[in-house]
Amino acid sequence: MTLVSLRGVAKHVLLPDDSRLDILHAIDLDVDAGDHVSIVGRSGSGKTTLLNILGLLDAPSAGEVTFGDESTLAIRAGRLDRMRGANVGFVFQQFNLLAGRTALENVAMPLSYSTGTAFWQRNALAAAMLDRVGLSHRLTSLPDRLSGGEQQRVAIARALVRKPRLILADEPTGALDVETGASVMSLLDEVAAESGAALVTITHDLHVAARARRHYRLDAGVLQPVNLDEAFAASTHAEPTARVSTRGKKR
Amino acid sequence: MSDRWSLAPAAGALADAWAELRVHKLRVLLSLIGIAVAVGALTAVVALGELQRQVAAEQSDRFGGRIATIMVGAYREDGAPMNWDAMDARFDRVAERYDFSRTSRIVDGAVTVPVQLPEGVTSLPARLVDPDYAAIHRLALLEGRWFVEGDTELLAPPVVISEGLWDTIGRKPIAQHPTLTMTGDLAGTYQVVGVTPRDGPWDVAPRVDLLYDTYRERLEAIPSDISVMREIWVPVEIVGELGPVLAMDLRAGAEPGLTITVNRTDWGAQAGFADSALIFQLVTGAIAGIVLLLGALSLINIQLVAMRQRIREIGVRRSFGATSGRIFTSVFLENVVATTIAGAVGIVLVVLVMRSDWVIELMFPGIQDVPPFPFSAAVTGLVASVVVGAIAGLIPALVALRVKVIDAIRF
Repeated sequence: MTLVSLRGVAKHVLLPDDSRLDILHAIDLDVDAGDHVSIVGRSGSGKTTLLNILGLLDAPSAGEVTFGDESTLAIRAGRLDRMRGANVGFVFQQFNLLAGRTALENVAMPLSYSTGTAFWQRNALAAAMLDRVGLSHRLTSLPDRLSGGEQQRVAIARALVRKPRLILADEPTGALDVETGASVMSLLDEVAAESGAALVTITHDLHVAARARRHYRLDAGVLQPVNLDEAFAASTHAEPTARVSTRGKKR
Repeated sequence: MSDRWSLAPAAGALADAWAELRVHKLRVLLSLIGIAVAVGALTAVVALGELQRQVAAEQSDRFGGRIATIMVGAYREDGAPMNWDAMDARFDRVAERYDFSRTSRIVDGAVTVPVQLPEGVTSLPARLVDPDYAAIHRLALLEGRWFVEGDTELLAPPVVISEGLWDTIGRKPIAQHPTLTMTGDLAGTYQVVGVTPRDGPWDVAPRVDLLYDTYRERLEAIPSDISVMREIWVPVEIVGELGPVLAMDLRAGAEPGLTITVNRTDWGAQAGFADSALIFQLVTGAIAGIVLLLGALSLINIQLVAMRQRIREIGVRRSFGATSGRIFTSVFLENVVATTIAGAVGIVLVVLVMRSDWVIELMFPGIQDVPPFPFSAAVTGLVASVVVGAIAGLIPALVALRVKVIDAIRF
């Protein structure tokens, strides 16, 4: 069953000098429930913009996004926000934990935008989710007292605490060393698989991308399926590391 | 519970606001000191206004009687001598129908009594009253007691003397039963049962308060050249109707040439007192309002700077389902909750200060009935703090509303 579908999605922005910058061109993509998709691409190729559109944070300039069975074109902003809160979980490269809030408060934050039992039981649910990611001993720790790996595990717990149908991970290992990154990705795969959520990962790292079942490459705003074996081979010859490009400004 | 009617959004917004205040305690504390001071000042002004009114009322009561005091007077237009006993009888006959709780005859300023002092017999001014005079005029004694019913039966009739006279006779403690000796028609020994305080440092005059009946019993008749007034303390609700009816009753059947006057003498009948209290309150209130405005501007300034630092946080919250309305409400409530708490702190401090006996005595020496802390002052302060919070919260909340999520979470 298709969870989110992009048909002919394009995105462009007007620059201050009135020139037009095309970021995405005629993207077609289907993400099914429980799917695991990776998107690799150079910096500036439009990966984050694509992720924002998938996560209902941004609207396409052209084309149509369907979430569930519903086209997002006609949905009003407030409902779109609630739909995103209930169905989408984000994992960011820089973790984006709320400073000054404990791990428990950070994980409980998405539940404060829910209703009913999930809202009133938010601290208990958040504690259970932190336990699931192995941080039951860090409930009251502030982000600046956590290691990078622990912060990303808190971020994963936060993304999953509302049991979303779609998890969007934007360079989830970008700020971590190789070993910690691998451990965090294993955890993300595991908990996503447990909850049956679809996982879309955008990354520079081919090893991270290789964990997905389907792989895409975004190049100059054009999305194409990619054969990772060829990419690995090319990168092995071209570069000593598995990265396809250097880290840079995203859009 | 349906999504539409859930309490969760409101409770969540309030919880967010509280958490934000808790996390940024220092910033909040610094920004709210001004608000607490301003709200405290505003509350204090309203409360001081009430106390000032009470002081003015008490001072006025000493002269004109409490609200509402009716004074009945009489004089003869034809120059014939005034028969005060007949006037008493007339009043008592009429008063039976009204059941007055407090009445007192007063002769003030027209009577002197010969008192034996160390330097010889001295004629001292005397005030002739009934026991109810103290209640009607809110008279508090420096020492001893005031007159009570039955005092006229005592072998040594009681007198109450002024502090100036008490000094003259050596300030002998009342417990040791000091006495005064009078000569002439009033010859005899009188027991000093109380001392009235000075009106101020200048007030050193020796005076004697004597029961009207004690004076009357020692004379054949009250001299016709003095004027005896009769004061009646009545509920303020009925004074308007009572005055004319009482006047009509007292005048009914009066002999020709006798004129009876009925007036209201308490300060409540004078517009000037209320006006001066209002002006005091308006001036001090305006100053407190300016302080409040400055506090609000400072809060807006700090909140706007803080908002710049919270753009990423707002972006993250939006990406996890916070609607723009929810963000607006949270930021708005932060300020309202913060200023309300600051205002409450300011109000509590003012209440504590103004309930202190030491402060009251220092600011309003001689006040008798300290009114309870005016509820209106606390409400005014609380409303002011909520309104300031709403105004100061609106601008940062509008700024928060304009945060673009994709820009906020990008870096």
